[in-house]
Amino acid sequence: MSVSVREALGAFKPAAIAVGIALAAYIAGWVAYEVFFPGTAPVQPIEFSHVIHAGDYQIDCQYCHIYAARSTTAGVPAVEKCMGCHKVIATDKPEIQKLTDYWNSRQAIPWIKVHDLADFVYFPHKRHVQAEVACQTCHGEVQTMARIERVAPLSMKWCVGCHEEREVENGRDCWTCHK
Amino acid sequence: MARKKNPGSKLSRREFLALVGTGTSVMAGAGFLTAKFSRRPVEQLIPYVVPPEDYIPGVAAYYNTVCNLCPAGCGITVRIREGRAKKIEGNPAHPVSQGGTCALGQSGLQVLYNPDRLQTPVTRRGERGTGDFHTVGWNSALTTVASHLDKLRLANRGAGVGLLTGDIRGHLDDLLIQFLGLMGSGRYLQYAFTNPTNLYSANAASFDTAQLPYYDIANSDFLLSFGADFLGMWVSPVSYSRAYGDFRQGRREGEDKGPRRQRGQLVQIEPRMSLTGANADIWVPAVPGTEGALALGIAHIIAGGAGRFAAALAEFDPPRVAEISGVEASTIERLARSFGDAKAPLAIGGGGAAAGTNGVPNLVAINLLNHLAGNIGREGGVVFNPKPAFGRTGMQRHGSYLDLLAFVEEIADVDDGVLIIAGTNPLYDFPGDERLVRALQRIPLVVGLSSFMDETMQYADIVLPVNSYLEGWGDDAPEPGVGMRVASISQPVVAPLYDTMDVGDVFIRLAQRMDRDMQRAMPWPDFHAYLRNAWRRMYDKRRDKLDYVDFDAFWTAVLEAGVWGETRRASQRNEFHAQVDYEPPVHAGNDVDYPWYFQPFVSQGFFDGRGANLPWQQELPDPMTSIVYGSWIELNPRTANELGVDEGDILEVSSPAGSLRAPVWITQGIRPDTVAMPIGQGHTSFGRYATGRGANPLSILSAQVDSRTGAFAWGATRVNLTPTGERIRFVKTGGWSRTLDRQILGPRSGETQEGGDHG
Repeated sequence: MSVSVREALGAFKPAAIAVGIALAAYIAGWVAYEVFFPGTAPVQPIEFSHVIHAGDYQIDCQYCHIYAARSTTAGVPAVEKCMGCHKVIATDKPEIQKLTDYWNSRQAIPWIKVHDLADFVYFPHKRHVQAEVACQTCHGEVQTMARIERVAPLSMKWCVGCHEEREVENGRDCWTCHK
Repeated sequence: MARKKNPGSKLSRREFLALVGTGTSVMAGAGFLTAKFSRRPVEQLIPYVVPPEDYIPGVAAYYNTVCNLCPAGCGITVRIREGRAKKIEGNPAHPVSQGGTCALGQSGLQVLYNPDRLQTPVTRRGERGTGDFHTVGWNSALTTVASHLDKLRLANRGAGVGLLTGDIRGHLDDLLIQFLGLMGSGRYLQYAFTNPTNLYSANAASFDTAQLPYYDIANSDFLLSFGADFLGMWVSPVSYSRAYGDFRQGRREGEDKGPRRQRGQLVQIEPRMSLTGANADIWVPAVPGTEGALALGIAHIIAGGAGRFAAALAEFDPPRVAEISGVEASTIERLARSFGDAKAPLAIGGGGAAAGTNGVPNLVAINLLNHLAGNIGREGGVVFNPKPAFGRTGMQRHGSYLDLLAFVEEIADVDDGVLIIAGTNPLYDFPGDERLVRALQRIPLVVGLSSFMDETMQYADIVLPVNSYLEGWGDDAPEPGVGMRVASISQPVVAPLYDTMDVGDVFIRLAQRMDRDMQRAMPWPDFHAYLRNAWRRMYDKRRDKLDYVDFDAFWTAVLEAGVWGETRRASQRNEFHAQVDYEPPVHAGNDVDYPWYFQPFVSQGFFDGRGANLPWQQELPDPMTSIVYGSWIELNPRTANELGVDEGDILEVSSPAGSLRAPVWITQGIRPDTVAMPIGQGHTSFGRYATGRGANPLSILSAQVDSRTGAFAWGATRVNLTPTGERIRFVKTGGWSRTLDRQILGPRSGETQEGGDHG
């Protein structure tokens, strides 16, 4: 007695098609989320515009991000720093009034983190600033962004690619970034 | 083969499309949601409202201060990030610690961050000892105490106010004396279980200097230690451990080239093998309390029947000493020869040798060995320290066990007595007699200053939470010093976590709430100002000799370095003033009903019990047994055979004063007639990590005291052991302690070693 493989499988054909469609739908759903909700430019509690500050007025990055050259962290400006100017500048704007509310109630502004590295990555801003890597290399053309958007993938491949290109000493060593 | 048609499975076209549509959208939804939830959660960037001025986020700052977890006074360096203490290491510039810390010192962070810390003042609501307290504000607590003190003072009855503290040195000690003086009271006593009262007394008798000298272990070449576990927790373990390293393999000071000099030889005499005993070349288990006889026996041989002590030493010939101490005559002769022939022999005594009823005579006999070796004031010998830059020595500050009992009982006898207790926990490390508790119960007002609700604080009426040592100001002149004058400032490395203040601040605030005279006499805004003033006076005295522009520069420099010193040394002639004689030890309990000597020992993790609320110390394997978390009782294999017990079997340990239960640990490192237990566990009230864990060996000790000083003789009780039939499995990191001829340490040399492995 012989059994035709094709015929035997044929019995599962509808099931296979169903699974195929389901899988395709699942992937499509996933992709749709990534495309329509990339999360690279989240809405912030205050519509702070780098176009105005870094673009139009050409304020140096490190005027506000004061720790970048000295620490691992670049530092989000303290509310006091914002108020240093905005006690007098543009006080009629609704976004500035939001800022003033935070300041008056001595509350920190809960900014949403855009550039987030995994906890197992050691990334010191200090070293990169001192090596004269432009902020824009990783953060994109910030001065043109009305709302901050992540443009770099921040993947390991991307990091190492740059290390190789710039011939960073020990730039491929695991322990350079994974301490 | 035709498919068998099931009539029920036949779908209409409409049904089929609905099914496919629903399935597809469910799956797409699932994909969508999986993507959503598999993404790292959104994080926030919370900026400062006002940026900190004194640090950069992400960059560590290091502050030098002083460890106060034991009386050694090591300098430490604390790593701070974003205003939080992260790590403690030794301060390399500090001559006591020289960059080292002990395990307890490392755990200081867990004092700071301990979840059981007292965070607000509390007052007693229930009966004393029940732990029923409720929260009050600082203002009300301070006013209550201040008005009570004020009333007594204005009625000229301030003499009934007593202050009992732990080890408080430096200018805080001065401030407390001043406060009590203004109250018209001289009742100020320090009590610490580990204070070497007998050693002070023996040194005063022998050398006319009531000091803890600096034992120059590093430059000695033959070290004869009678019970002093200087690698464990004896007096200044970090300093001695470093010196021990040099003793074994280092070079002399100033020598940086050439061959390493010969390693020193260490002999440890003690009935139970301590960490130091385990490191020794020869471990000599003498009968507990007979160390003095052994020292005199060695002195007898060295002196050779000549000299001033010939008569006193005459009867201590090797056979007699062997009979007393249980050490073979040949061993005594060998030790004496080695000690006599060594270029720089050194004898030190402590631990069990000083904790019998004959502690002082034992230590005087050990001092005699140093005198005979010409060791006093010599390199590699016993170096006395110059007078400290400030403060009193431990001998002047500390009371013995009997002093403390008398002190508390006297206050209890006064009408309207007040007892203020700060930084000591006598109800834990007192023997199991009720006298202290009864006296405390009779005192109308007991005020506690503490970070934790320990056994003693349970008997207080008001407990004021004080800063941990990492949050407050202070200064310290370490004792023993290192042969020169050293002082260090203790500075806050973090802002106080809770609503707490320095001990000094409590007294200044109290004075500010009392009548005008008190306010005027203690005018400082806070303890920091008092401390700065005191250092300014020190600076002014030495202004010409010091190379600083002004006081501020000096102060900043000391704060940065964490230590300040002068190279002046004390001169001490090699004179010996004491009469030597051997006094046999007296043990509580007869040897029929209580066949075993009971030797509690200060444990490496918990010191005198104060480390038991630190999880790291609980997790730290004991260096000799590798046991974590619990208590145990150490038995010789022969004892264990006799009782028919094995490792983990729980014994009932009973003494004339009480009983406890502890599991058996079998070790060859103990005499068959002796059993030993670590001190530190068995707290009844000391936070979640310490309370109810293990047993406290001190609780079954009889109230034996040293015959000369009245110091608590915690090595002078005998016990009986009864198997209970229950057993536990130890939590330990080690396995089997013997090599079973596996030659793990390489091939054996021809000679069989003493106490070697024949397992």
